[in-house]
Amino acid sequence: MHAAAKLIQPSENEPAHSSIQNRVAALRELLHRKYPTPELRETGILPTSFEAFDGSQGGLKQGAVTEVVGPTSSGSLFIEIMLRVLGREQAFGAVVQAGASFNPQDVSSAALRRLLWVRCPRPLTAVKAVDLLLRDGNLRVLLLDLQFAPQRELQRIPASTWHRFQRLIEASGMVFVILSSRPMIEGAKTRIVIRQRWSLGAMRQRRRGLMQTLAPQVFDRRDFAALLADEKRSA
Amino acid sequence: MFAVLLLPQFRLQAVLRFRETIPNCLLAVTDEDGRICELTAAASEQGVRADMPAVQGLARCSSLQLLPRAKTTEQVLQHALLELADSLSPEIESTGEGCCTLDLRRAPATDWNSWSETVLKRAEALELKVALGVAPNPDLAFLAARRADAFLVVQAPTAFLAQLAVTEIDPPPYLQALLRDWGIHTLGQFTSLPRGELADRLGPEMDRLWQRASGQTERLLRLVRPAEEFAESYEFEHEVETIEPLIFLLRRFLDQLTLRLGSAHRVAARMVLTLTLDDGKAHQHVFTIPTPTADSDVLFRVLHTHLEDLRLIAHPTALRLQIEPVHPDHQQLRFFESPLRDPHRFGETLARLGALVGAENVGVVELEDSHRPDAFRLVAPQFHQFAPTVDHDEECLAIGLPLRRYRPHLPATVRVVRQQPVEIQSSEVSGRVVDLLGPYRASGEWWECEQWGVEEWDVEIEGRGLYRLHQEPSGWFIDGCYDAELR
Repeated sequence: MHAAAKLIQPSENEPAHSSIQNRVAALRELLHRKYPTPELRETGILPTSFEAFDGSQGGLKQGAVTEVVGPTSSGSLFIEIMLRVLGREQAFGAVVQAGASFNPQDVSSAALRRLLWVRCPRPLTAVKAVDLLLRDGNLRVLLLDLQFAPQRELQRIPASTWHRFQRLIEASGMVFVILSSRPMIEGAKTRIVIRQRWSLGAMRQRRRGLMQTLAPQVFDRRDFAALLADEKRSA
Repeated sequence: MFAVLLLPQFRLQAVLRFRETIPNCLLAVTDEDGRICELTAAASEQGVRADMPAVQGLARCSSLQLLPRAKTTEQVLQHALLELADSLSPEIESTGEGCCTLDLRRAPATDWNSWSETVLKRAEALELKVALGVAPNPDLAFLAARRADAFLVVQAPTAFLAQLAVTEIDPPPYLQALLRDWGIHTLGQFTSLPRGELADRLGPEMDRLWQRASGQTERLLRLVRPAEEFAESYEFEHEVETIEPLIFLLRRFLDQLTLRLGSAHRVAARMVLTLTLDDGKAHQHVFTIPTPTADSDVLFRVLHTHLEDLRLIAHPTALRLQIEPVHPDHQQLRFFESPLRDPHRFGETLARLGALVGAENVGVVELEDSHRPDAFRLVAPQFHQFAPTVDHDEECLAIGLPLRRYRPHLPATVRVVRQQPVEIQSSEVSGRVVDLLGPYRASGEWWECEQWGVEEWDVEIEGRGLYRLHQEPSGWFIDGCYDAELR
């Protein structure tokens, strides 16, 4: 109480705006000292074996939200990449879809045995399903596919949902990836943007080759904010 | 030595099992004929007697509560009693309703008093109110059980029998009346009479009675082996409208059943919950336990999750829970496989997901043995029993982009020139076809009535992306997209 009282009283010599800034900074420091937030735990990195995705950090961050943004092909190829990772790691994962666009006939039956598929009618239901799986914490990888969800319905998801997911995933240490067609997750630790478009020639190429030719841009939270600001400025 | 486990007032116990009753309640159990068969001591004090018509009982005590016999619970009680006996001796006899005789002659000589105390504690944990008699022969043990408050060990049969009333050995009415006329009231007085002369005058029936009275009868037990059935049931007096009573009873059921499983060295592999409804139908659900266990908390969570989301069209009137037991699994954890951290929790999460999106929308894909497009089914995942296999890199052979399906596929209007689609119109995508691959024809099951045949095209629509079309007799459809910027 004593420290807080001091903060409220401005010094006589200080200009008004700087005194407010100083006091806010002091208040923040005081709150931080009194209620220290637990340090974010990043339990590790899960490599995808694709250099372009792994980038400088060496793979996907466990215990953090990753967002993959791009056209529909980016989502389907990324799901396949994660299925390969599950096979290599001898682990289990889940894909929660708003809609049911996943085509299992494109994937080997051995890979499918490691994947739990949850088909949800609406994005809000998918969010609830993800909440259950994050709290469960048994799976290594969780994909939330919102690429086919209508934008109008996506806007109904409260922004606080993603922050709650961030808190949940810190505890479970899972790899949690959200597939979307445009950036929408504010608190995503890593954002992978794929802008690549394909012609029909791709349908004659080996899929592994297609994955290797993907050229994703990997941003961490701050880089992406700067990029968005640059894009807005140039626009 | 022999022991008899007796459930005094067996029918009353069955009716009152899992029922919270106030002490000294005025309660009687009626049979099918509407006659009172058993009653509480408080009801007896009010002048109500066994074998009395229910109406007469009500005339003597207007606040008497009458309950019908709970036959299914009686069976459950009898089974629990036999299980308890089976865990104490391999040679047991189901002597009658709520009565079980154990042959303990092969048991090592022991302090029977402390043994009896242990047995009573186990019975108490199973919510069985047992009277225990231990004696050198089965009939004597039965008499001891009948006389026991909790347990009675007969070390000196002659002294024990001497104080008993003649009626304790259930003589035929005419002999009982005769002995009463002679002034013989106790077994001690009866056995003081010469056996040979009694038999000469009153026949072999009197001889057998004398033998019983002197504790000299020897008989072979009709041995039984209780079936491994772990079930509890309860019939409600009125229809149940909320899940709380069900939850409360299931918790108590599970506490009992897991105790019984523990004594039989078994674990639960499956649970069958049956709710009898007031419309005459029944709701039954089978729960497969991911990792068989005898942990009541784990089993309860499984049931609780199911009941939370259960919607019934009628009210439950009875409840039954049956557990299918198995031997505990002693499998070694795999070194390279990363199994589920908590299979039970995962099972619960699956149940919750099923309740959220429908059980048909959650699972692991199992491809059907067919080339028919989109032929697969979703099955319950068995991650906890996952057999480690070498995953062949089949994906290396995969060609092209994976498809994103529209379910159901979109009807489209397609303009065809020289048997090739050149322009498409649909609710999702419209435009000119700038490039295409196909047709890819497939058909199958022509030997069945469900024969199918499709003609597929991969097309690039100007400014939109890559799509798959198919044509069937009813028209053109868009199956899905390979690459598109969704708007």
